[in-house]
Amino acid sequence: MLGLLKMPRRGAFPLWTLVVLLGLTFFLSQLAGCILDPCLEVVPNITFRCMGLNFSGVPTQIPNTTQNLDLSFSHLKSLSSNYFSSVCELQLLDLTRCHIHTIEDNSFKDLYNLSTLILTANNFKYLGPAAFYGLTSLRRLVLVENNISSLTDLPIGHLHTLQELNVGHNNIASLKLPKYFANLTSLRHLSLLSNKITYISRGDLDALREANRFNLTLVLSLNDIKYIQPGSFAKIHLGELALRSSFENFNVMHTCLQGLTGLQVNRLIVGEFRDRQRLVDFQSGLLSGLCQVQMQEFVLICFRQFENNTDTLFDCIGNVSSIRLVNLQLEEVSKVPMLSQVKHLECKKCKFREVPAVKLSLFKELRMLRITKSKYLNSFRQKFEHLSNLEVMDLSENRLSFTRCCSPLFLGSPNLKYLNLSFNSDISVTGDFTNMKNLLTLDFQHTKLFGPGSYPVFLSLQKLIYLDISYTKTHVKSQCTFCGLHSLQVLKMAGNSFENNKLANNLKNLTRLHTLDISSCKLLQVDQITFAALSELKELNISNNKLLSFDPLVYKPLQALTVLDFSHNQLTVLLDSDLESVSDSLVLLDLSHNLFDCSCTHLNFLKWVKENQELLQNKELMMCHIPEYVKNVSLSSFDLSSCQVKTSTVAFSVSVLLAAAVSLFLIYKYYFQLYYSLVLLSGCKHSAERGDTYDAFIIHSSKDQEWVIKELVEPLEGGKPPFQLCLYYRDFLPGVPIVTNIIQEGFLSSRNVIAVISTNFLESKWCSFEFDIAQSWQLVQGRAGIIMIVLEDVDKALLRQKLGLSRYLRRNTYLEWKNREISRHIFWRQLTGALLEGKKRNHEEVKLM
Amino acid sequence: MKTSNVLTLILVLLCINASTEWPTHTVCKENNLEIYYKSCDPQQDFAFSIDRCSDITSHTFNIRAAVILRHSIKQLYAKINLIINGKTVLSYSESLCEPDNAKLIFCGKKKGEHIYYEGPVTLGIKEIPQGEYTVSAVLTNEDHLTVACADFTVKNYLDYYY
Repeated sequence: MLGLLKMPRRGAFPLWTLVVLLGLTFFLSQLAGCILDPCLEVVPNITFRCMGLNFSGVPTQIPNTTQNLDLSFSHLKSLSSNYFSSVCELQLLDLTRCHIHTIEDNSFKDLYNLSTLILTANNFKYLGPAAFYGLTSLRRLVLVENNISSLTDLPIGHLHTLQELNVGHNNIASLKLPKYFANLTSLRHLSLLSNKITYISRGDLDALREANRFNLTLVLSLNDIKYIQPGSFAKIHLGELALRSSFENFNVMHTCLQGLTGLQVNRLIVGEFRDRQRLVDFQSGLLSGLCQVQMQEFVLICFRQFENNTDTLFDCIGNVSSIRLVNLQLEEVSKVPMLSQVKHLECKKCKFREVPAVKLSLFKELRMLRITKSKYLNSFRQKFEHLSNLEVMDLSENRLSFTRCCSPLFLGSPNLKYLNLSFNSDISVTGDFTNMKNLLTLDFQHTKLFGPGSYPVFLSLQKLIYLDISYTKTHVKSQCTFCGLHSLQVLKMAGNSFENNKLANNLKNLTRLHTLDISSCKLLQVDQITFAALSELKELNISNNKLLSFDPLVYKPLQALTVLDFSHNQLTVLLDSDLESVSDSLVLLDLSHNLFDCSCTHLNFLKWVKENQELLQNKELMMCHIPEYVKNVSLSSFDLSSCQVKTSTVAFSVSVLLAAAVSLFLIYKYYFQLYYSLVLLSGCKHSAERGDTYDAFIIHSSKDQEWVIKELVEPLEGGKPPFQLCLYYRDFLPGVPIVTNIIQEGFLSSRNVIAVISTNFLESKWCSFEFDIAQSWQLVQGRAGIIMIVLEDVDKALLRQKLGLSRYLRRNTYLEWKNREISRHIFWRQLTGALLEGKKRNHEEVKLM
Repeated sequence: MKTSNVLTLILVLLCINASTEWPTHTVCKENNLEIYYKSCDPQQDFAFSIDRCSDITSHTFNIRAAVILRHSIKQLYAKINLIINGKTVLSYSESLCEPDNAKLIFCGKKKGEHIYYEGPVTLGIKEIPQGEYTVSAVLTNEDHLTVACADFTVKNYLDYYY
């Protein structure tokens, strides 16, 4: 390095230093990034997440206002007293997998507000007897996966406020609850899931016996319980007891359930997990021990193989008011005890192939029956009979396919209020609801229906409030499809279709309706009478149709409407009249995903969108469809100012117009000059083509015509040699503009120009024009050619006014006509000479060529 | 330039845990069947094995898998994609844990807890497709956070005789 610095190459030194410095900066920043990753501030000053950042203590950056701190996956190793004194406002502290092996006394001392302490997976070796002192508000303590082998050793007896204690996945071998549990009067949830409890003896739960624990949930699932001594649970009141995958075989389970004698529990959960099924078969009398258990609800979950021995299934649970059978391979219900008291029965994910209506009808007290999510259940031929108390019947999410719906299948259930047949295969609805007149809710959604739409099938459902026939492939043809539904408040029929894709008089008698969903019905048109009777309608969803316009007359009767979903249609614009009818009572309006026209002609609508942002839902999805240049621009971000005409544009167009008018005027005024310049530009060619027909073109005023004929034409044309003259009154072609004649016949065809200057000449515009042309012609062609004859009576003063002419006369020799013999003679000699001069030169040119 | 090389080396060594690439593990390596996997969860690698690779031709085979949870799994959803030549050919998803129906024992586990699954897996297909392809499996929880993620590379030239 030093050697490099001493090297004479001066350029290398700064370059090398730069590289090293840059490298060092990069390295240091990376180092800082690797080691001192900052915690994520989820809620400013309140919630910090420092998960997996390998801290070895409470990070100094955490402010003392922090309430929730996640330090999981750190390396705290050992907690000493007052460890968390810098964050004494904590309410939640997550110390999952922090490699904590020691918690000394008073480690959490200052955390008076802490309600949740998570210490999952730390493998404690030493817990001080006062380790949890100071946690006067602690409600939830999680000690999962900590190799805890005994509840007795846990120094938690003073945590009176504790509601949940989770000691799952530990090595606790005994359910013997230490005496301090009697102090934990707030305890609601005690989880001993997946421990090593094998025997439960009388007296183990004595600590719970002293106070009634109606709310306590005790989880003993995933223990390998071999024996429960009868009387262990006697006179114990629990909220819930879970015993899933706790027994290794039928016999153990059978005897252990016997050991629950005397238990009073609100909910008992027995069964297995699908990936921990050890009991091979449900055998007769398995649940016989439950006859001695008082419970409100019984849940049997994840049990396989119910072949022939289900006769005793309900034997001891017949008096339970609520039974849930979940994830059972139960194929049939073989026997139901007489005088069963079951009020709620649920079979979820069972293996029925046929609705076991006959057997289930024996549960006379049934109020609620649910058979759901059974993928083999497709047949419904048996009838439910005399379930006079039945109010709720839920047969949703099966594969049911049946006819004769619905009265014949539910005989003697006059109190049925709720019937759910949604998400099934197909159902033929006959319209016979005669003994279901009290039905309030009927749900058929996503089940293919035969009947509704073609016939008035709902005639007898006078009390029905809620009807869902969404996605049932119903095609509404009949005007009387919804006849009879006088009380209906909610009608959901998305994803169906109407005759001719037109909504006509189909909803006429639904006068009480307040929610209507007719989205995705392929609607093209809505008649004006459609909503005439729906004066109480509050919510209307007409989205995902193909409506082109929003007709105010259609929606006018909907006086109570507050929510309108008109999204996913083909609306291009709302006209002023539509906007007036919309804005009155509406609270929410969804117009997203329409094909809006953002042309400036609809400026009023675009303004309205800007002004009604609070009313509009999904406003960011209201996109312009046309014109092309604003396609997919959100209407709310559309730039209205682009529609206002700019002053610069106005100024520009006005000046262009002005310029055009001026040039038109100029062209009109200076037509001759322009034409002449045009000829000049292409003049050389013309003159070459046209031979010299005349010897001279005579410019004169028509008032001097007499003089010209007598004194010029006759002597020149009749003399020797004869000259050919061009005279406007004789040689100009008729039907051609004068200017064209002057140039074509006069100048282009003549070798010389004779200008007869007189007072008349000076006064004539044509003459001065011709003279101007002659002058410039002379300049362009480069030959002399203009012979001036000044008549004697020319007023010199007038001549001076014609500046160009007077200057010309001053500079050039001209002939002067005087009415004397001698002067005439000289005049003639000069004139003939001049004319001959031009003629000779021309002949020489011809010869040379 | 030696100094900067040293700097780079130190940097790499210090920041080795910043790398998100996990090593490729071998599950099976037999004559006609090779299976490798690689964790695609930037946060962690995981352990996976198949008891007997020859069983894979049958309907159900036993696997062992272990992972430490970085997120709670009150709900757990599996999404499996079959990718051939970079294109997803088949997609399959299933809910493994539902809030009111914890059918598997690890359902409801919380962040930091250890999952060890040892048991049968049913693919639900008659035979595993032949050829070389990738099976991507992602497990997500109720908050749509990735719980585990793996790309399995399969080279299968087994013949099926029934």
